[in-house]
Amino acid sequence: MERWGVGKIAIFLHGLAGAAVLTALYMALVFAPREAAMGDVQRIFYWHVATAWVGFFAFFITLIASIAYLRTGRRRWDIVALSSVEIGLAFAVIMTVTGSLWAKPVWNTWWTWEPRLTTVAIMLLIYATYLLLRRVIEDPGRRARFAAVYGIAGFVSVPITFMAIRWWRTIHPVIFKSEGFDLSPAMLVALIVSVAAYSLLYVSLLLLRTQLEFLSDEAAELRESLDE
Amino acid sequence: MTYLIAAYTVMWLITFIFVLSMAIRQRRLAAELEALKARLQERQRYGQ
Repeated sequence: MERWGVGKIAIFLHGLAGAAVLTALYMALVFAPREAAMGDVQRIFYWHVATAWVGFFAFFITLIASIAYLRTGRRRWDIVALSSVEIGLAFAVIMTVTGSLWAKPVWNTWWTWEPRLTTVAIMLLIYATYLLLRRVIEDPGRRARFAAVYGIAGFVSVPITFMAIRWWRTIHPVIFKSEGFDLSPAMLVALIVSVAAYSLLYVSLLLLRTQLEFLSDEAAELRESLDE
Repeated sequence: MTYLIAAYTVMWLITFIFVLSMAIRQRRLAAELEALKARLQERQRYGQ
């Protein structure tokens, strides 16, 4: 059985991700200057954006892995797609909760049905359904094919969510504009470090999660051979 | 400041729960694999 995520490189990567996350924490809480209008609550933004980026990226990886599965039929791609959805969903939940905690003091509400928040809610439901549907299909081949098609179709929600603040009138801030970033240089550095740290954490978690699924397959194979 | 602390707490909590759930599943699977391998070896030893 193939396994990913084992060996010294993986251990090094896990350590690097941990160190990067701690560095990002320092950058967001200490290095970045206090925002004049919002105060310290603006510091939520560094992790909110970083988790949003990783969530979107994770769903993109699911799209790629799903296409690869349909083309090759290899189980490893199904495992990557599933693992990436789980991690992406965890990050998307963090993004939503931190966004809500930022919105309360700034917008004076925890939640409002404006375009970005609405599309985020739909995206979360789509990917939560992906995991639920996988549980109800028993045949492994059928489950993997169905999940791959769903993983490709579901990705439509990601660019719509990303572009919602550009396509429609919204109260959500737009940081990345065509003319540049709406941030001071120090804030931009803190944001880049946070995005890089969470990206490393994503790769680290993906290795762990895929390895877990390979172990699960190995156990299933052994169970089958014992039943014969 | 309260919202900042709450946001960071939630963020770490979700990350921690996610990693912990993986660690628990991995431990269970590793134990199951050991047990299955032992059963398979036993079966092979007795030629069944």
